[in-house]
Amino acid sequence: MRFSSLFLFVSLGCLPTLAAVAGGKEPHYPVTTLAPTLRENAHAVVRMEDETLLVKSVGRTVRTVRRATTVLDEAGAEWATQLVYYDQLSSVSYLRGAVYDAEGQLVRQLRTSDVKDYSLSDGFSLATDARGRVADLRQPNYPYTVSFEYEVVSDNSLFYTTWQPQSAEQLAVEQASFRVLTPANLPLRFQERHLPKGAAVVRSQQGDMQVYQWELKALPAQEEEPYGPPLSEVVPTVATAPTTFEVQGHAGTLTSWQGLGQWDYDLNMGRDVLPEAVQARVAALVKDAPDERTRISRVYDLLQSSTRYVSVQLGLGGWQTIPATNVSSTGYGDCKALSNYCMALLKAAGVPSYCALVLADEPDIHTEFPSNQFNHVVLCVPLKKASKPDTVWLECTSQNTALGYMGSFTGNRHALLLTPAGGQLVRTPRYGAAENRRERSADVYLDAQGSATAMLRTRRTGLEQDQFSQLMHGLDPVQQKKKIAESLPLSNFNITKFALVSDAKAAIPTINETLGLTLPQFGTPSGRRVFLLPNLLSRLPAVTMPVGERQTDIWLASAYAHADTVRIHVPAGFQVESLPTPVQLTTTFGTYSAQVQKLADGTIQYVRTLRMPHTRFPRTDYPAYVEFRRKINAADKAQLVLVKTES
Amino acid sequence: MFRYLGSACLLFIACTTICVVQAQKLKDPIQFGTVGAADFAAMAPVSQADSAAPAEILCDFGKSRIEGAREKFQVVFERVTRIRILRKAGYDWATVQVPLYVKDNSTEELQKLKGMTYNLVGGDVMKDKLDISKAGFKEVIDKNHRLYSFTLPNVREGSIIEFSYTIKSDFLFNLQDWQFQHDIPVRWSEYRVVIPPFYRYKQTVRGYLPFALEESQVVPYSTSYSEDARDSFGNSFGNSGHSASLSGQALQVRWAVKNAPAFREEPYMTSASNYRRSVDFELAGYDFSRNGNEYHDLTGTWEKITKSLQEEELFGVLLTQNGPLTAEAQLLLKTITGAAERAAAVLALVQQRVKYNGQERIYASQSFRKTCEQHLGNSSDLNLLLVQTLRSAGLDANPILLSTRRHGLVQTDLPELSQFNYVVAHVALPDKSDLLLDATEPLAPAGLLPERCLNGQGRLLANTGRWVPLKPTKRYMQFTTAQFTMNDKGGLQGKMHLEYDGYAGLETRKQILELGEQGYQTQFTRRWSDWHFTGPLTMTELQDPTKILKADVALTLPEPEAPAPLLYLPLAQTLGQFTNPFKHEERQYPVDFSTLHDYLRMVTLTLPANYTVQERPTNLVLTLPDNGGRFTYNITQSTPGTLQIVSRLQLLKSVYTPDEYTALREFYSRAIAKHGEMLVLQRK
Repeated sequence: MRFSSLFLFVSLGCLPTLAAVAGGKEPHYPVTTLAPTLRENAHAVVRMEDETLLVKSVGRTVRTVRRATTVLDEAGAEWATQLVYYDQLSSVSYLRGAVYDAEGQLVRQLRTSDVKDYSLSDGFSLATDARGRVADLRQPNYPYTVSFEYEVVSDNSLFYTTWQPQSAEQLAVEQASFRVLTPANLPLRFQERHLPKGAAVVRSQQGDMQVYQWELKALPAQEEEPYGPPLSEVVPTVATAPTTFEVQGHAGTLTSWQGLGQWDYDLNMGRDVLPEAVQARVAALVKDAPDERTRISRVYDLLQSSTRYVSVQLGLGGWQTIPATNVSSTGYGDCKALSNYCMALLKAAGVPSYCALVLADEPDIHTEFPSNQFNHVVLCVPLKKASKPDTVWLECTSQNTALGYMGSFTGNRHALLLTPAGGQLVRTPRYGAAENRRERSADVYLDAQGSATAMLRTRRTGLEQDQFSQLMHGLDPVQQKKKIAESLPLSNFNITKFALVSDAKAAIPTINETLGLTLPQFGTPSGRRVFLLPNLLSRLPAVTMPVGERQTDIWLASAYAHADTVRIHVPAGFQVESLPTPVQLTTTFGTYSAQVQKLADGTIQYVRTLRMPHTRFPRTDYPAYVEFRRKINAADKAQLVLVKTES
Repeated sequence: MFRYLGSACLLFIACTTICVVQAQKLKDPIQFGTVGAADFAAMAPVSQADSAAPAEILCDFGKSRIEGAREKFQVVFERVTRIRILRKAGYDWATVQVPLYVKDNSTEELQKLKGMTYNLVGGDVMKDKLDISKAGFKEVIDKNHRLYSFTLPNVREGSIIEFSYTIKSDFLFNLQDWQFQHDIPVRWSEYRVVIPPFYRYKQTVRGYLPFALEESQVVPYSTSYSEDARDSFGNSFGNSGHSASLSGQALQVRWAVKNAPAFREEPYMTSASNYRRSVDFELAGYDFSRNGNEYHDLTGTWEKITKSLQEEELFGVLLTQNGPLTAEAQLLLKTITGAAERAAAVLALVQQRVKYNGQERIYASQSFRKTCEQHLGNSSDLNLLLVQTLRSAGLDANPILLSTRRHGLVQTDLPELSQFNYVVAHVALPDKSDLLLDATEPLAPAGLLPERCLNGQGRLLANTGRWVPLKPTKRYMQFTTAQFTMNDKGGLQGKMHLEYDGYAGLETRKQILELGEQGYQTQFTRRWSDWHFTGPLTMTELQDPTKILKADVALTLPEPEAPAPLLYLPLAQTLGQFTNPFKHEERQYPVDFSTLHDYLRMVTLTLPANYTVQERPTNLVLTLPDNGGRFTYNITQSTPGTLQIVSRLQLLKSVYTPDEYTALREFYSRAIAKHGEMLVLQRK
């Protein structure tokens, strides 16, 4: 003890001399050395990122990250905090940090006591093992630089790193590198996406280990473009995956979709056994069913009326279902458990089916790179005995979804079927403009002062009804009416009637809405005239033209077709002074028409249609798309004028 | 005015009470496990609005009593709850989360958890028991918080679920509070608290809904308490010491609410806890003496709270120590004479040094030195440092305790520290006026408290403490002037000048900080979507929050059509679009803005030479009753070729009662209609 303090004294004594020579401590990432092109449009700049994935064995990986980020303003302050995720299958070896001022002088080091440990409860799971270590190095004055270093040891080799150093908008990258070290018997699989020229993998040997290395330099900040793909689909990315892996003693190969599917199938095999009493009940339920589809329908009704979704995600339980017998006795489970249970029920009804992995609520998976990209499970029922080959898809976590319907959450994407022969990539249903429809018919009764009452009937089908289905099933009528009031694009109104009713007989999910309104300001009186906007609720806003050149392709959310008919009942003593000229637009994006005419009985009828059958267009089409939207917007705002007849 | 929404009183029974009439033992309103087929019978909804409720609480019954234990007393809280699940949307009510608190060696423990689901199948009641080993989970949230979650089996539409549990708590300071209203209707909610003679509690009752029952009575009370045996050094060596049985009388207080409709939040509300019926408690004092004359008052008065805070390590003691910013503060003392100016300079100094981490606290988390080293701290870290630095700069500065808007309104007749969650700084200026300062918000100048602090009154912790109103010193003020010239096709060209003062300045500066200047500009152009911006939005005084924020922009409105004998201009195009913030017809609770509002717009319009005005809107003055608001709209034609439109909308109160709501909504509706009116020009 005494010796060490003496030693400390001596070394302290040396310091002033060193400082005098060097003119101060070596600065860390001073802001002056930052290229102006990287500051442009950036809230923060990654100065250095050095990420390493060390494959220790078939079942263990070690991920090490060192990152220094200069925070330029308040909007970039989130980069001064660091969350390191861990769970039952992984642990954080360390989390270190430091903060430097604009000149690169140390402000302070992160202390162990400054690091907090939280449960990352998602708010809807009954139980989850997700936890985080959190450090906060935010500073009052900009710019400043934070550095973090951490290591995570994982016993879950199913997931390797997806390296994406430019992970957000308005974040620039000065320099970033990624290395994977792996034994020769565990070769790395990887996929490079959007890498700039010269950034491709460099391979080398380091002792027994094979080394794969990537480096990126000087990536200017980017912004997500309107109606474009999400940033994660545009920025430089290296996705990695194992060839073979092992989780909790369950080994698998990942060189093909077949292999991943095989592993998942084997992991869950034998968990679809039902108690005999339940099997007998299902058999009785479908005994007199005339065909396969009716059997599926009765089983799905049973599932929806007797189970509910409860999420429990602990360790291997993230991939392995609880047995069907448990669901049968408790009536709840997560997506795996309910799909597996429904598969067991269908088996008892003599209908074979397969669980299928999907990536829900996000862009589709990268099909050319077999790896675990999934977050949800649905059930796929091939109709073998039908006259033509068909497939029924079942969302087993919802108690309301119609038989066979995959909405915007799971539709129009790839799914990995889990079959005894392994995984098989298939497509879930896609819904086009013929299915996603909104048809509205309105009667508006105008009075001489310009106020009006209106009754609107709207029929929505397919993806157009998804949101309204949630509203109808999730909230009571009082709350539904409130939500609708908040969403109506009107500045002044009262709702006199509101109801949502689903049409069970329709082939595709359908919801009919009845909406009664009083509109104190439907018409604007001015002297002898009243001005009216016949397009009551279907105005489509214009799109702004980008400042620079469009960088990314156009990705529209879904195909659809809208049709509106508004009949305006004019009070006595008024006649039409002017009507908008009809508009008809036919483009590669879609077709639009709007027409106002006076009917024989004096009613004014407005008819508008908009049909958008396609969703993807090249980036060079963007100016034409903006022009199309501008014309629609102008036509949607066209007014008609009524004038008081001389009396 | 609206009815006062809370009340406080002291709950205790004096030990010396000799002659009390013993009450009948109260029957519990619910027994766990006694659901029968009759309980499934259809019932009329609690209210019309609840006719399609997703679920309803049939009975929620809680009891708290204080019991002796080994070397301590504990609060024993028992709860039995019965819920009927009516629709699938109500399934979430079958999953229950019980938060538990731990600190040092003191804990809250969940015990005796039971749960049952009842389904009526063909006239028979089927029971499914909760299996805790499979459906119960305890999670460590952080150092001080645990979460116990469980979910009930076989829940369907029509199921009745039931659960009961006991929490044994070492935290005597707060009894378990009780909330009578929930997001679903409640048919019966009852809470009983038994207070033994040696403890006194302060209770706070909040909300609007009337109690069906509110009564207290004296009940027999007994408990046993054991002391550990100790050696001569006072070290405990096990539970072989003597135990004592305490018996006597206790005060039982009972509250119940019947048929509470679902509680629904409304826009422009402060914390929902201000509106929901609830009761909570804080320990006031104790007396363990035989004859009841050794009462130890734990809270008692605001003066005592002040004194105890002054003795706290992470509050008052901090203020007595030498601060890290003293040297700089003393320099300011030498260089700035005016007290208000000096206070503003100290505020800027602290804001420069320390960033707010977003945590609303009354206690500091660390020493001032560490706060300055980390450059990061909670509201108390920052504002106690501010108080201390203000003092070093020769100012008469003290802390003010307050409760933020989301934390609830402080009741000044209830001296309870737990009512507060935030600290700001107070400076007594030489002219005896109050100056309030908050270092958490670098965009707010001295004297302008962030909106979250504008909530009733704050308690000044000075030698003579007092209540200081937390009123906004400025309005939310937007001022727009614009000059437009119209061409003979109806197109407009011109420039616009905008000013944001008071809370509008704070709000706009915050938006610019969060979105960046470019992002803000994009958002701004979206509000004027029909216009083309011919130049950038130029901001002035963005950096200096003491100045009015100004913005200038040049813009054109494309001509709608070819030259026509008549040109129509909706004047809303030039005044700016706005929508009625009050979308709903009904209002249950007061509209609570934090500030007064003032929107002033002045537009000068130069008309094309070959046109004359054929129709123009008339002038209008609207007022709200009780001087609650005013809208004026004036249009004048100063020369044949120019029109001037002046529109001003003022909300002159920050709180409007539900009775005033209809008028307020109509006021907006008419103002919007006036803005929407048309100018018609005719070719000469």
